[in-house]
Amino acid sequence: MRPVQLFCWHFMAYPYLDKDFDKSGHSGWVTVPNKLWDNNKARGLYQEYIDQLALADDLGFDGMVLNEHHQNIYGLMPSPNLIASALTQCTSRGKIVILGNLLPLHLNPMRVAEEYAMLDQMSHGRLIAGFAPGGGPETFNYDVPSANTREKFWEAADLIVRSWTDDGPFTHEGRYFPLRYVNLWPKPLQQPFPPVWIPGSRSPSTMTEVAKRGYCYFLSSRSHGGETQRAQQEFAQVLEKHGDSYHPFRFGILMSTYVAETDQQARDECEEGVWYFLKNCLKGHLRKEGRQLTYGPGVPYIPAAAWREYMKGYTPGRKLLGDVENWEELEASQSIIVGSPETVARRIGALIEKAKVGNLLIQFQLGNMPDRLARKSMKLFADKVAPILRHDSLKQFTKEFPAMNVDQATPAVH
Amino acid sequence: MSARSLEINRRKVWILESGSGAPLLYLHGFADVHSVKETWLPFHEQLALSARVIAPAHPGCAQSDENPDIDVIEDVIFHYLEVLDALKLDSFDLVGHGVGGWIAAELAARHPEKIRKLVLIGASGLFVEGALIGDVFMNAQPEFGSSYASLREMLFSSANQANALEMFPDGKGELEDEVRRYQMLRLSSRIGFKPPYFYNRPLRNRLHRITSPALVIWGEKDGFVPRSHGEAYAELIPHSGALKVIAGVGHSAHVEKPEELAKLVSDFLAK
Repeated sequence: MRPVQLFCWHFMAYPYLDKDFDKSGHSGWVTVPNKLWDNNKARGLYQEYIDQLALADDLGFDGMVLNEHHQNIYGLMPSPNLIASALTQCTSRGKIVILGNLLPLHLNPMRVAEEYAMLDQMSHGRLIAGFAPGGGPETFNYDVPSANTREKFWEAADLIVRSWTDDGPFTHEGRYFPLRYVNLWPKPLQQPFPPVWIPGSRSPSTMTEVAKRGYCYFLSSRSHGGETQRAQQEFAQVLEKHGDSYHPFRFGILMSTYVAETDQQARDECEEGVWYFLKNCLKGHLRKEGRQLTYGPGVPYIPAAAWREYMKGYTPGRKLLGDVENWEELEASQSIIVGSPETVARRIGALIEKAKVGNLLIQFQLGNMPDRLARKSMKLFADKVAPILRHDSLKQFTKEFPAMNVDQATPAVH
Repeated sequence: MSARSLEINRRKVWILESGSGAPLLYLHGFADVHSVKETWLPFHEQLALSARVIAPAHPGCAQSDENPDIDVIEDVIFHYLEVLDALKLDSFDLVGHGVGGWIAAELAARHPEKIRKLVLIGASGLFVEGALIGDVFMNAQPEFGSSYASLREMLFSSANQANALEMFPDGKGELEDEVRRYQMLRLSSRIGFKPPYFYNRPLRNRLHRITSPALVIWGEKDGFVPRSHGEAYAELIPHSGALKVIAGVGHSAHVEKPEELAKLVSDFLAK
């Protein structure tokens, strides 16, 4: 048995917006004017962020997490594979999780298969391969028609995995990506292939596709109320239905945290970064202010019957994470956990306990948070919070999942 | 009025029909029957006073089955060739609005012999340099979590007039209206999202094949398909008169001035 796996997720926000951006800027996504990019300030920014991820490796985190975004101030990684490549050279222990490459945005999925195989070789088998379909903003980023995104996505994902496992050359006769000679060089180092993680937002069809293939499901939600626990239960049921059984390392969630010496100090220190993140980085994505690009009828990727079900429970103008107005509302969202090591350990511990989640993907650097504070928070977390979470989760998982042996408990189950 | 579904190539096609006389095939756009409303708008009712109006719902719209194999406009054209066969329509008047107008123009360019008279209202389908067709998808994403003002602005002459608010209300409208709007956007996403954006570049060089008399009508303030597209249609279709501009209305002329538009269309078809 192993304890909860703690990963450090970096989004690489653009941190140099003016203080009045929320008033003057309509959105932080897709249409945010790129004249706001300031080379005088941004020189060296990628190095600062890469160094924070390298610090996570030094501090004993179980891995570093990257993902793909385009045309926004929320995440400056149009190609997470480039950052992953740098990490293969400046880290040595932790997994490198790319969650993920947005497959429908790639003209040829083989490019992803090849780059992931290279990264697996370059990192000595540390890659966790995430595939994601992209959401509303990405539809507009690359003009990806929504209606068949999901089919395209699964065809690409299956082709990539087949190219890692089947001997080439073979012919792929797919609807979207027909290829005559599939013959991957290099092969990935991990056998039969690197662990695959797939994000989803509780849709039963995604859970089913993930379960069928034996992959790990990652809940792409930033808030963790009862829905997180429900997602775990639903995924466990789907696994059972497919003759598989749930264990904590089949499931992952994203959260953010800031740790300081005391609760008050934590709030004081992270206040600017947290609210920069909520009000600027989430504008256009998880805020109702501005134009909401993430969900809506303009990105019609689910079938009409599923849309009808969604609309039945939909409340227009409801508050999203970025619409919270004060610390109390933020605390209630269980999204960004701020406090002393004791507070953070207690609150995150409770979440692990309820959600039975084995992969915790944690964002430390938020918005325009200065390097110094992000590093201090990471160190405190590693010294004072991680040991408690590891101890308690090991005890819990051992008790609740006695049948699971250690080999199966690695994140790479196939 | 009759409502029925035809089984065509193993898929259901939902069809409304009213009136008697010469057959008139109506192909819907946004803000229309099948794409918002379950039944006729006043515009269609008035057309049905002097024609047998037949309005199929596009694949995946209203109660028509979705066809996941539709990728490009060509696929929709073949779908409609099968609909025409099933309805035994070999000579008919063809009226299309918006995306429906695009389908109508494509059909007429391929099978001019089937079309008695052609009417295009605010039709997309052409590439006109420097005159982009509007981004209906981004405008269909709400502002402030609930406002569709910019979508109404695009599809009507102004965002806050009653008929626009009735068809595209803020917040949550009637559930089935919401679903129909969504279905229309989903079909449109298949054929009109990826550039070419609601157009088919070769269409321009095919319009000369159209042999029927044609009437091209545009709302003066069309915020979705720029008026220069109407001018291009009127110029390139051999037997089209000059572009007819309806004063004071936007893209949805059939909603904003139904009587004036229906009279214009009926008079043209009766000539």
